[in-house]
Amino acid sequence: MLFFRLSCQHLLRTAYGNSVALPRQQFVKLQFHTSVLRSLKEQQNVKETAGWTERQKKLRSTVHYVVATAVLTIGLSYAAVPLYRMFCQAYSYGGTTAIGHDADKVEKMLKVQDRVISVRFNADTAASMRWNFRPQQAEIKVVPGETALAFYTACNPTDVPVTGISTYNVIPFEAGQYFNKIQCFCFEEQLLNPHEQVDMPVFFYIDPEFAEDPKMETVDLLTLSYTFFEAKPGLKLPVPSFVKVKQ
Amino acid sequence: MSSMTFGQKTFTPTPPDKGSFPLDHEGQCRKEMVKYMVCLRTNTNNNSACREEAKAYLDCRMNNQLMAKEEWSKLGFGDLETKVKSEK
Repeated sequence: MLFFRLSCQHLLRTAYGNSVALPRQQFVKLQFHTSVLRSLKEQQNVKETAGWTERQKKLRSTVHYVVATAVLTIGLSYAAVPLYRMFCQAYSYGGTTAIGHDADKVEKMLKVQDRVISVRFNADTAASMRWNFRPQQAEIKVVPGETALAFYTACNPTDVPVTGISTYNVIPFEAGQYFNKIQCFCFEEQLLNPHEQVDMPVFFYIDPEFAEDPKMETVDLLTLSYTFFEAKPGLKLPVPSFVKVKQ
Repeated sequence: MSSMTFGQKTFTPTPPDKGSFPLDHEGQCRKEMVKYMVCLRTNTNNNSACREEAKAYLDCRMNNQLMAKEEWSKLGFGDLETKVKSEK
């Protein structure tokens, strides 16, 4: 306020040629005031420019950090796919089994006599498949740890040889990991001559660890279901990767 | 169709340990199979009671080149084999 008053008086004096008398004290104060203000302004300007470059530097480093984080996230999401697959195979997580069972396991496994499991058999054919395919027994009572044999029968009523390929399914899904087949007739092409009937055995066992799984406590019934498709050239069956296609 | 089951439980089939049985086109082991089925029917589908017949069927398959020869203990019939040996 004082500055304003003094500056007004200064202006008036310069305008009217010293006719407005400015007391000496006030004039000195005015001079001091302006010089102080000027230096303050200069300082502020310097600080502002310096602050601006500092702020710019900080901004730049933040941008660098953010961009690096984004690149890292994108890279991790791409790398996660093969890494997860390797992890699953190593630890058999989520139903994927380790490649290959031990033959020693069959030798050394002990049967769990008190858990009797009924295995029901189901047979299906694709709509265009001309074979007659059915199980020979409706169900078998098995105990975990004991190998069992079951039979299916397939008949070719047509006058031409028909090649079939089959896949299987075990219900409930969680019990599927305990169902181990030693030998069967799935995933490979089987040729049936005209008017021929064959018996197809399935040799399997249920892992003794089935009895120790708390999720399987109430499971007494397993259903094994086979489906036969006609193997035409160009047929794309959803076969798992481990199956070697016969040439 | 199988690709649309995202989030649902899926079943992953596993390969058989010893591969696939060759087909018995000539029906060489049919008698053993019938004996096994009869045994199952008389024993109310109890697998534990018919293991001898199952062993006989697999034996027939091995003898007729319809199955790779394997020791009985590796096929889970070790107890039957020791019983036979002790009886002899």
